Amino acid sequence: MLRLTNITRRLGDFALRDLNLEVADGEYYVLLGRSGSGKTQLLELIAGLEHPDSGKIFLDDVDITIQKIQDRKVGIVFQDYAVFPHMTVFGNIAYPLRTRKEDKKNIAEKVELAAATMNISHILERRTEKLSGGELQRVALARTLITSPRLLLLDEPLSSLDTSLKDDLKKLLRKLNKEGQTIIHVTHDYGDAISLAKKVGVIHNGTIIQEGSVNEVFNKPSNRFVARYAGIRNFFRVKIVHENGLVTGVTGNNVRFRLNDISQGSDSLLIIKNDSIFLSDEVPLDKELNAIKGKIGEIIPSEFGLEVTIDAGDLFYVNIPASAMGKLRIIEEREIWMSFPRESVVVLNGVS
Amino acid sequence: MNRNSIFTWIVMILSSLVLLFILAPLAGMFIHTGGSQFLETIKDKEVHQSIWLTLWVSFTATFVFAIGAIPFAWLLARKNFPLKNMVQGIIDLPIVLPHTAAGIALLGFISRDGFLGKTASVLGINLVNHPSGIALAMAFVSLPFLINAARDGFAMVPERLEKAALNLGAGHTRVFFTISLPLAWRSITTGFVMMFARGMSEFGAVVIIAYHPMIAPVLIYERFSSYGLNYARPASVLFILVALLFLIALRLLTLKRKEKLIISDAQTD
Repeated sequence: MLRLTNITRRLGDFALRDLNLEVADGEYYVLLGRSGSGKTQLLELIAGLEHPDSGKIFLDDVDITIQKIQDRKVGIVFQDYAVFPHMTVFGNIAYPLRTRKEDKKNIAEKVELAAATMNISHILERRTEKLSGGELQRVALARTLITSPRLLLLDEPLSSLDTSLKDDLKKLLRKLNKEGQTIIHVTHDYGDAISLAKKVGVIHNGTIIQEGSVNEVFNKPSNRFVARYAGIRNFFRVKIVHENGLVTGVTGNNVRFRLNDISQGSDSLLIIKNDSIFLSDEVPLDKELNAIKGKIGEIIPSEFGLEVTIDAGDLFYVNIPASAMGKLRIIEEREIWMSFPRESVVVLNGVS
Repeated sequence: MNRNSIFTWIVMILSSLVLLFILAPLAGMFIHTGGSQFLETIKDKEVHQSIWLTLWVSFTATFVFAIGAIPFAWLLARKNFPLKNMVQGIIDLPIVLPHTAAGIALLGFISRDGFLGKTASVLGINLVNHPSGIALAMAFVSLPFLINAARDGFAMVPERLEKAALNLGAGHTRVFFTISLPLAWRSITTGFVMMFARGMSEFGAVVIIAYHPMIAPVLIYERFSSYGLNYARPASVLFILVALLFLIALRLLTLKRKEKLIISDAQTD
């Protein structure tokens, strides 16, 4: 198990601040964050390429904070692969074995096995200059995995691959994880996190702001930043008031939300997932639902079908399947009802 | 004719003039050297000895100093330390010094009263008027070429590759010899050849340290000042030809070495 406690590391204007992290054996941990959020720095600290200003790093309860890089058993695959350009694919994969002065026969056998696992046996004798991104990625992975690391760190491994290669690599990573390999994967891509992670951590401004299973994090985002990651665009700053015995959130534009009973706070932020909002021509019959009337604005094709903007004083973003466009008569400027249950509204008290 | 092509013409004419400026005196010297004079010089034992001395002393100086200069270049490329800019300035100092002044400074250091001279004389070597003194003078003025080229070469090696090698279990020494050095090899070679060439052509610093044994530039000067232009020309031509051949050979050899490195790496047995 990997455990980071109160890690702080300052790098110019940027700093990792009081960061805590636990990754269990066999876990696939995805660390999600924008570029500049400190993801790569964190990996370099774990790998020992950098040292923290304060805080401790434990691997299997052994303090490895200032342990030599070579002794850590933590393998890192860099975003740009860092494949040695003056060596062949074989030379690259054999590098750690040659460093350990293993005998040639042993090296050849191990390299061939690793290459077969990564499906790169056919390029073993090739120079690395003309390899594709996918091939380089596999060479880098094979080279790291041949060291049998306790922990595999991946820095944006999918970012520069095309879609089909991405799927192949995801399969491979899932397989490695199933075989017991503990993986920490940093990415800016929410899709990668959903498709691979057992556990997700969201890093922002050098600190982990939310952590949990994919469902926990994306269904109950703890702030606007995490919600944005989940593709949520409906954020409303409201004042919480009691109206006719009901807890209600009122926006500056007088849009009203009925909420589950919560403590009355001052300013709060409401978050509603784009696909939690239903559209209908008539006012919904269920009086328990929030029902808000608005005017259809922009209709934008999206990966889910269509994203429809509805102006009800505040702007709402609603995802609908493309097939529903005709049925619901989604036409710009037409008026339409939106409805959503109280439970689908996430309330963040005292958050701006 | 559009503006671009007028510009291109002007650039080409100016470039040709510069090129002509370099080539014309050399070509003139070759043309004015008579065949019989040249043949006579080829047979001249004194000329042979001086050219040979120049080549091997310069090569040895470059080789020996490279052992310290290359790791120093790596340090400059990779590490930050106090007064680094000043150190960088010190390295470039021999380039801007008048070479005779460099020779005088060095003479104080290696003469019997100087620190190095005293130490050498304990071992029975008089550095003044000795090939080792010549080597020191050559190295003094030509070291910046090797250090600067090698430093630029190391700086161009992505640090990521060194980090990756460390992560794969290699120690710092192995990373230096298997990653940094091979990847900076081309620049180091260029620096090596430049240092060798610069050392070989040095006159000012060497003549102060050692008039004898005579290296080729001193011999040419001596022939010119004692006997005149016509007598100095054939020796100059011969020295230029030999130096060129040697430089080309060295270039080819070092390029081959780089290819060999890659091929040997590919061998799986």
